[in-house]
Amino acid sequence: MLCLGLAPSAIADERRVSIPHGTVELLSEQESIQPGRAILLGLHFLLEKDWHIYWINPGDSGEPPRLEWHLPAGLRAGAIEWPAPSRLPIPPLMDYGYAGEVLLPVPIEKTAGLAVGTETVLSADLKAIVCREVCIPAKAQLSLSLPVRAERPRESAATVAMFRAARKALPKPEPANWRPSAKDLGGSFEFAVNTGHSAPDAWFAPLEPLEIEDAAPQESVSTVAGVRLILKKSDQLLKPVSRLRGVLVLPSQGAYLIDAPVAPAPAKRPNKEQ
Amino acid sequence: MKRGFAYVVTLVLMALSATALAASVGEPAPNFTAIDSNGKAHTLAAFHGKFVVLEWHNQGCPYTQKHYNSGNMERLQKEWTQKGVVWLTVISSAPGTQGYVTAEQENDYLRRMNAAPTAALLDPNGDLGHLYSAKTTPHMFIVNPDGVLIYAGAIDDKPTSDPADITSSRNYVSLALNEAMSGKPVSTPTSRPYGCSVKYAH
Repeated sequence: MLCLGLAPSAIADERRVSIPHGTVELLSEQESIQPGRAILLGLHFLLEKDWHIYWINPGDSGEPPRLEWHLPAGLRAGAIEWPAPSRLPIPPLMDYGYAGEVLLPVPIEKTAGLAVGTETVLSADLKAIVCREVCIPAKAQLSLSLPVRAERPRESAATVAMFRAARKALPKPEPANWRPSAKDLGGSFEFAVNTGHSAPDAWFAPLEPLEIEDAAPQESVSTVAGVRLILKKSDQLLKPVSRLRGVLVLPSQGAYLIDAPVAPAPAKRPNKEQ
Repeated sequence: MKRGFAYVVTLVLMALSATALAASVGEPAPNFTAIDSNGKAHTLAAFHGKFVVLEWHNQGCPYTQKHYNSGNMERLQKEWTQKGVVWLTVISSAPGTQGYVTAEQENDYLRRMNAAPTAALLDPNGDLGHLYSAKTTPHMFIVNPDGVLIYAGAIDDKPTSDPADITSSRNYVSLALNEAMSGKPVSTPTSRPYGCSVKYAH
């Protein structure tokens, strides 16, 4: 769960839409919009204790929130930027998502054709599933109105702390010298990253479903050179995987986006060569 | 009493084999015996020579409701059972959890929904669910007439709870059955199952 530093009452306004067991709203990091300059919006969920939504790979069950944008001509929204997820165990299953409060940043990448001096309305239809033991579908029509100004937008005082926290919660790009790699061991992957630190409580969440058994314990072999994890393959993985992409969570250091090439399983040699 | 004992033994054996035998596509489907909502025992091996569909079910789950309230699942059950397929709905919700039903409640539901599975198997201990590593409701499996698992995964390619998505979806179960029945390899043998978590006992 993220602590974005503001009590729910401090950010309450009429934009907040009720969904089952919580509220959701569209926020802007900037207080105005300048034609030609990208801005950052955020989908802000506030859920009751233990209720959660899902990461881009929800794991064994659930579904990530989806947005359908309705924007003025000349504007284009980018994809949701996914903060590092929490593991949400529901034995014998494992899901990935966000419990309680989360801000999912979404850039408006293209902002052409806006007339200075007008107000622009950015709207989106949200579909999500909100779960605890049970799941309830959530739909919301969200919108945000921003003034169009010629000058460079200033950060909004009401949301700047939340966006700062949200940016920190995003997985960082992998440092160049980490050289992640994975080895196909048949029933599992040996996943290694030269982080330069031992991290016995590291864990990995793949971006793609059906690569690993999400609920299987990740045997961690921590060395001074970095992290080595044994990731059990999904029972339903039929084709070889050439790269393992996902988020490596180092609880004391943060989370990193990792893209590891997978070395194939050594081919079984015919008996006579052995 | 004797039959009760045999049933318990079967369940214990089933639970034991669950750790050894995962349900993997391309491999023989793990055998099981389970009791349906009319008290009748069904054994997978007895359906040798037929296609068998397993459908994990929870009537309170919005993803299950997507396919039942729209009539999609009932249509599939009718279509495929008419073509000789054995369709087994499996309920692995533990007592006290969402989707748990007594035999009578399940029969009421089947009548009310006009559902047409061959049988609805009651699996409150989750033995059958664990044997197949059923994760979601729905979660679909297809066993071919040789007893080999040929499909495991989602019902279709639109992983949402919105019934409006059904018409534009590609149904993986019908696709696999059509392909297998015409002697073709199954083009999508696995997919990520989507839905609510199966409500196993913790």
